[in-house]
Amino acid sequence: MNFSFSEDQTLLRNSVRSALDEHCKPAHVRAMMDDPKGYGEAVWGEMAKLGWLGLPFPEPQGGAGLGLVELALVLEELGRAAYPGPYFASVALGGLGLLLGGSAAQKEKWLPAIASGKARSTAALLEEALDWDPASTTATAAKTGDGWKLSGLKRFVPWAHVADFVLVPARAPEGLSLFVVDPKAPGVTIRPMVGIDLASRWSEMRLDGVVVKTDALVGAPGAAGALLDSLLRRAAVMTSAEMLGAARRCLDMSVDYAKVREQFGQPIGSFQAIRHRCAEMLLEVENAHSAVYYAAWALNAGAEDAALAASICKSYVSDAARKVCGDAIQVHGGIGFTWEYDLHLYFKRAKALEPLYGDAEFHRELIVRHQSAHA
Amino acid sequence: MDLNYTPEDVAFRKHVRAWLEQNLPRAEIKTLEDRRAWHRKLYEAGYLGMGWPKEYGGGGARPMEQAIVADEMARANAPAPTNSLGIGIVGPTIVVHGTDAQKRRYLKKILTAEELWCQLYSEPNAGSDLAALRSSAEDKGDHFVVNGQKIWTSGGSIADWGLLLARSNPGVAKHKGITCFLINMRQPGIDVRPLKQITGSSEFSEVFMTNARVEKSDQIGALGEGWAIAQTTLGYERGGRALARITTYATQYSRLVEAARRLKRHGHPLIDNPVVRQKLGRIWAELEVERYGALRVLTMLERGEHPGAGGSLTKLSYSEFEKRFLELALEILGPYGQLTEGQPEEYRLQIDTAVGDHGTWAYAFLWSRAGTIYAGSSEIQKNVIGERILGLPKETRADRVGGAR
Repeated sequence: MNFSFSEDQTLLRNSVRSALDEHCKPAHVRAMMDDPKGYGEAVWGEMAKLGWLGLPFPEPQGGAGLGLVELALVLEELGRAAYPGPYFASVALGGLGLLLGGSAAQKEKWLPAIASGKARSTAALLEEALDWDPASTTATAAKTGDGWKLSGLKRFVPWAHVADFVLVPARAPEGLSLFVVDPKAPGVTIRPMVGIDLASRWSEMRLDGVVVKTDALVGAPGAAGALLDSLLRRAAVMTSAEMLGAARRCLDMSVDYAKVREQFGQPIGSFQAIRHRCAEMLLEVENAHSAVYYAAWALNAGAEDAALAASICKSYVSDAARKVCGDAIQVHGGIGFTWEYDLHLYFKRAKALEPLYGDAEFHRELIVRHQSAHA
Repeated sequence: MDLNYTPEDVAFRKHVRAWLEQNLPRAEIKTLEDRRAWHRKLYEAGYLGMGWPKEYGGGGARPMEQAIVADEMARANAPAPTNSLGIGIVGPTIVVHGTDAQKRRYLKKILTAEELWCQLYSEPNAGSDLAALRSSAEDKGDHFVVNGQKIWTSGGSIADWGLLLARSNPGVAKHKGITCFLINMRQPGIDVRPLKQITGSSEFSEVFMTNARVEKSDQIGALGEGWAIAQTTLGYERGGRALARITTYATQYSRLVEAARRLKRHGHPLIDNPVVRQKLGRIWAELEVERYGALRVLTMLERGEHPGAGGSLTKLSYSEFEKRFLELALEILGPYGQLTEGQPEEYRLQIDTAVGDHGTWAYAFLWSRAGTIYAGSSEIQKNVIGERILGLPKETRADRVGGAR
């Protein structure tokens, strides 16, 4: 039993943090908020060079061969920096999706390209009704002579506007299936959906009889349910890691501010109303840390309680991040409500991630179902 | 990071489980002598004072082994041993701060429960502000004379000895005038009165000390060092109950889910009600997060690191959780949860209460209110977290200036 980071993991975290402190300052985040593409190629190139883009992929496919604990470490730091760009989409959605269920040829084609930074990817897991249950998919895949014709409407697809491929679930005659789709293919329309977090991007993706070849199918036709469940769990835990980073940044900023901001002739941190709130924020952050790294370890190790741990993680961290980031604005008072002060970058990142890959309520229901199944 | 138990720990757990199956008392523990007998059995098996150094009769065991024993006892619903304050606080205090003579005289008898101990800290006007205590210890040359009142003394009614904090010098700043003593509870100057709590039971006592005598040889540490010594003893929590606590909650949780399958609302089982499911899902997530936190604490302890002020986070987390959990239990169980007698089998807290203690939801619910008050209230813990972990400035306090009176 050892619930702490190894020396290598600590080194990785430190190197990610110092690289982001240098390349992803708040000024960079703000610049990308106004950028049409939304991310900087220089930082992307740096990430490729440092090996982050292929972190969980096997070494023969250009990866670092590391696991989900390491990926969570990187994502926590990215959340802490409110990193603007398609890292999560490319590595944790498209990349992990193919890693979990892709054919040898699909992996060979895409994973090295993702790892080197040449290609970006994402997954379109959500439709109009916002049901994260993969079984609710309504998009369709009709059989053609040598492939499939996809139709449907996907929403809130992260970074689809810069993706080279999108994993698209659709209902084939055989059942739920998953496809690799080129977002520039005829019949695909990508339309931006602009949320409050301008440093992360969503699109609506309309598929109007999009033709794909047989080799676009991920796994067997009709067999995508289990794969999508696995991917959703990983996405839920990895996005929790990013929320954890944003929450920790909000806590750090609040504590620093409470030490220097004076009212009534003393630092506001000396008042119990503020100090106790900060203590509660730390408690939530530390508990969220436990939830994220336990779940990341459990998924990586294939532990018996991995699915349960993933739902516990996402439900706990969604609530914790909401509280911590919200409280941060309250501790700051007026300045925390200004555009100029950086706090809202992290507040908005956590808020944008809160409903994704199942919100707290969705995962709480899964927790109870899981228990009934094991009663 | 590896959250699997080592093969050694798995084997040790199996061994403890088998021992408990063999040795659990078959009959209900009714008297103090029954409990002492059970205590001695546990001690002889090496399951008590496990973390104490071997030279003082302890087991020199690793924190994980201690946690596993407590956890298996919780799983088996085993009766508690006695003298928990003696083993948890008094003994370690003597080990660290006592003289050789004190160690020889007291330690072994603490482990064997030959002498039972209590802790005389809190006073009616010194709760969260413990350093405001006013019980006095007057130097009479060859002994001290103690006067004052203590409260919230757990096990006071059965204790032979007490670990006492008293003011030996009223003329200096309040944290500097306190000394730590060992006091014989079996003397005419000591009057112990049971304190009836909201549970209806009396785990705590009030202790009145009137010209009570403390030998010079029973002073612990130097004069005026009592506050500093008390600070270290409060930090002796070694995570021993870290896992056991969670196992107890988990057992209670499964009983709650079973009840929710039987109970109905508007003709449907409560377990199918989405609102109830959300609440159950939330509390289970919180319970598991407490377990993960316990594993982090045990990881630190196993490496010989001390959580320090981090212990405040742990205590704040589980004691507040326990209140939320039992509030939910009583909400789901309705009036069944309030029964102290006449509980139908289906709505009992424990399936078999033959050997366990206080098998009612009502008692667990009421008792949960104590956890966020004793051993430093949640508010005190938040002060500690704010000041010592986050480095926030201290508040301006009137008592940080001048003497005790």
